[in-house]
Amino acid sequence: MSIVLSNVNKIYQSGEVTVHALKNTSIEIADKQIVAILGPSGSGKSTLLNVIGGIDRHDEGEITVHDNKLTKMKDKELTEYRRHTLGFIFQQYNLMPTLTVEENVEVGRELSQNPLKMKDTLEKVGMWDKKDKFPYQLSGGEQQRVAIARALIKNPRVLLCDEPTGALDEETGKKILSLLKYVNEAYGTTVCIITHNNGIGEMAHKVVRMKSGEIIEHYYNEKPVDPEKVKWV
Amino acid sequence: MILRKSILRQFKEKKFQYFGVIILLMLSIMLYVSMSMGISTLDNRNDQFKEEFMQEDFHMILANKLSSDQLEKWEKEYNLSLEERLYGDVSYKDSDTTLRLFSKTTEINIPYASKGKLPEEAGEVALSPVFAKAHNIAVGDEIDINNRTLQVTGFMYIPDYIYVLERESDLLSDPNTFGIGMTAENTLQSITDKTVAQILGHGTSDEESNTFKSAVTENYSLLKWMNQEENPRIQFVESEIESSETMITTLPLFILALSVLMVLMIMKRRLEMQRKEIGTMKALGYRNRELTKYYMTYATIIGLIGSFLGVAAGAGLSIPITDLYSNYFNLPSISYFDWDPKVLVIGFFVPNVILLIMTYFVIRKPLQQSPLDLLRPKDTSKGKKSLLERFPIMNKGSFISRFRIRLLARSKARAFYILLGVMFSSILLIFGATMYKGMDGIVNSTYKDIMTYNYAAHYKSLQQADTDQGESPFTVAEAEITRINGEKAKTIEQQSMIYGIEPETEHIQLQNVDGKLLNSTLKNGVVVSEPFASALGLSKGDTITLKNAYNNKTIKKEVTGIAKVFIGFSIYSEREEINEFLGYPKGVYTAKWTEALPEYSEDVLFIEDKQDIIENFESTSSLTRYSVFGIAGFAFLIGVIVLTLITNLIVEENSPSISLFKVMGYNDKEISRLIINVYTPIVLLGFILSVPIGILSIDQLMNSIVEQTGFAMPVQLNWLMILVSLVIILLTYYVSVFFSRRKLKNVSLQEALKKQQD
Repeated sequence: MSIVLSNVNKIYQSGEVTVHALKNTSIEIADKQIVAILGPSGSGKSTLLNVIGGIDRHDEGEITVHDNKLTKMKDKELTEYRRHTLGFIFQQYNLMPTLTVEENVEVGRELSQNPLKMKDTLEKVGMWDKKDKFPYQLSGGEQQRVAIARALIKNPRVLLCDEPTGALDEETGKKILSLLKYVNEAYGTTVCIITHNNGIGEMAHKVVRMKSGEIIEHYYNEKPVDPEKVKWV
Repeated sequence: MILRKSILRQFKEKKFQYFGVIILLMLSIMLYVSMSMGISTLDNRNDQFKEEFMQEDFHMILANKLSSDQLEKWEKEYNLSLEERLYGDVSYKDSDTTLRLFSKTTEINIPYASKGKLPEEAGEVALSPVFAKAHNIAVGDEIDINNRTLQVTGFMYIPDYIYVLERESDLLSDPNTFGIGMTAENTLQSITDKTVAQILGHGTSDEESNTFKSAVTENYSLLKWMNQEENPRIQFVESEIESSETMITTLPLFILALSVLMVLMIMKRRLEMQRKEIGTMKALGYRNRELTKYYMTYATIIGLIGSFLGVAAGAGLSIPITDLYSNYFNLPSISYFDWDPKVLVIGFFVPNVILLIMTYFVIRKPLQQSPLDLLRPKDTSKGKKSLLERFPIMNKGSFISRFRIRLLARSKARAFYILLGVMFSSILLIFGATMYKGMDGIVNSTYKDIMTYNYAAHYKSLQQADTDQGESPFTVAEAEITRINGEKAKTIEQQSMIYGIEPETEHIQLQNVDGKLLNSTLKNGVVVSEPFASALGLSKGDTITLKNAYNNKTIKKEVTGIAKVFIGFSIYSEREEINEFLGYPKGVYTAKWTEALPEYSEDVLFIEDKQDIIENFESTSSLTRYSVFGIAGFAFLIGVIVLTLITNLIVEENSPSISLFKVMGYNDKEISRLIINVYTPIVLLGFILSVPIGILSIDQLMNSIVEQTGFAMPVQLNWLMILVSLVIILLTYYVSVFFSRRKLKNVSLQEALKKQQD
């Protein structure tokens, strides 16, 4: 298994308000799969992604990602885990505005002990021609491609995508999904996508539905559809 | 590290910000290095000149002519070197310019020829270069003195006239009115018959010289004895070196503090703006150490460029500064440029270390936050009212005034920085203005209000003849205060004099700061000069023990007042008491103040012309006045840089609000009033606070160096000077507002709104 969560709990305390963001969450994600975590706002899907990504800590339970037991890890170990195991893709791309496309991807590349080749990666995401452009010279879709390249070039075993199409239109969003599918197939990367767009679930191998911090449903798609054919909600 | 590429682009994008702090840092280091190296070179030149050219340990003038046998006898007996030197004052061109010609010495106070050669034949003369320059005299020229033509064979320096003062009581040297030269003894005697023979002494300790002095006084009438430590012509340069140390470190430290603070604010701002980027990098797996290194690179680049430029500019500037000092002090350029590695190391490393340590502490906290916290918008910490805003009065008034108050209350660090910057510039201005007025005060109070005579004739021997109408006899002698209220007093290294005067004299009107006449109080005690009171902490009512330098006799006296005599360490008492104290017969005097120019006679040692002193002072104080303009210019420059940097930062920080105001229909002027002009009260507050601080600090500074300089500064600041300083500060502020308005105009609507969305 690539990712295993067992009875994970996460509680946020904000003043007098207690939010149980994850309630006894248990889930197994196989290696080299695409997993779509679906749910409305406040369902806990982002929290789930954050604890898997080691950028947030869970209060109870066990999380193991490719033999990394996150529960006992110190901050420095979590940094090393993210550095060597994960790739992150954000809804707002979060590129460095003062670096070019190539340099932004270089930011990811220099973290890896076994990086992919720059030209190959940028060609795969269709951004080689624009490698010298700055983020402000790119469209949203192009920026997200760069963000994918930045995550991909590290050659991570797991790619965590937080609403990767949330800021994009349908046409661009589908292109990004196709790219993620390609990464999964070509590099064998486990891809976790969290989204409130239910349609995206159709392209995943496994779908996890969440509500109020709980997994209310999870199932495998026997025949994941092509990203171009997903229903855009 | 690829991230480093973004640093250079950031520097390019925010060039004004980074350029501004680099300039501030450079100015601070440049000031330190140039002044320190200038002073250090001066110190080395002084030490070398003293040592190699046998600067005197003391000199004396006797009433009687000494035989060379007697000198030799003393030399053997007291194991020291003695040499006789003649000098005479002659008028050059007009009666206002005095040239003091010395006979050539070979063992003590050996002259140094900087150009040409020293006079060897009759009719030859060598001059001090500053005097020659002031009077357009070149080597090889002929000059007429007392109807005799002398050929200038060269330029020379002598080690006992490093600060070329005509009289020891003079404050400033002026080559236009006084200079020194050297000629053969027979030439000197052929030019003037009013020559004085000095005995120069070298190679003895203070203790031995005291024993020698006692021996001399036993058999000879000693008119004057001056130890090297009391000789202002020698000591002034050392005092300057000592007193400069305070300025050398204080001023650059303030500018360094301003530049470091600015870097920290810029860094803090950068971290706030790049919160999400930092969060992203941490999520990607960047270590804290790597990110710390990345952000420290900003400070490192600023520090390295600033200190490199500062050290280079400072080292370069130290050459003209040293030359300026050397001309001022008449010191030969034996060594041209002394690289002081300590100064270079301090100038380069200290600012960098301070900058890096401070930057580390500023960036450490945000970088230690979790990636998740950094990726989240900072909204949760915004929108809280500060303590200031919770006062009900802050919620009254129009929207504009409430907005302005809130902006001020929420950017306390910015307001504090503006306050500091304005205070720094204002204190400099007040400092300059006080110096400007203080120079006038010294002259007016000392030479016009108190010393009402025109001339003072000093005699070689004790006088008994009655003085004429318009003349006042007085006895003057060297004396020191050994105890104050029974406690041992601090030793003043400069010569201190006691004046025995007639209390009813009209020629000296001792007044205290309130203008009260103190002459009548001399019957009950002594009056002391301001520098004396300041150096020893004397006040009215104190009991002092005086010891005279001739027979070591002591007397106890009560201080009945402090007179507004701002120059010299002087004690005034009744003449008869002083005569008795010195062991002189009743009714004698050693000098007299006169209204008309006294006649020169065999007995006259020298004549002091008060008008000469005033003119000399006023002519040379013009240098100080020019330096005030320099200070004002410097204050303006620092003020403009500091205020423009901070107002630019404020515009940058508030660009979302500015954009929103623009969208809503506010024009640039209105937005400027809302965002930038908010700080006008802070600027005014900074100025108001600076007035007492500036005055207090100059008072403290003058008090701390009074022992070295020998003069106190009357701290006077009139309203006109305050107004001029205020106008300069407001001008500084509005220049920076002008620059910031241009930045405000350039805030793009879309860009700013986009920032807000992010």
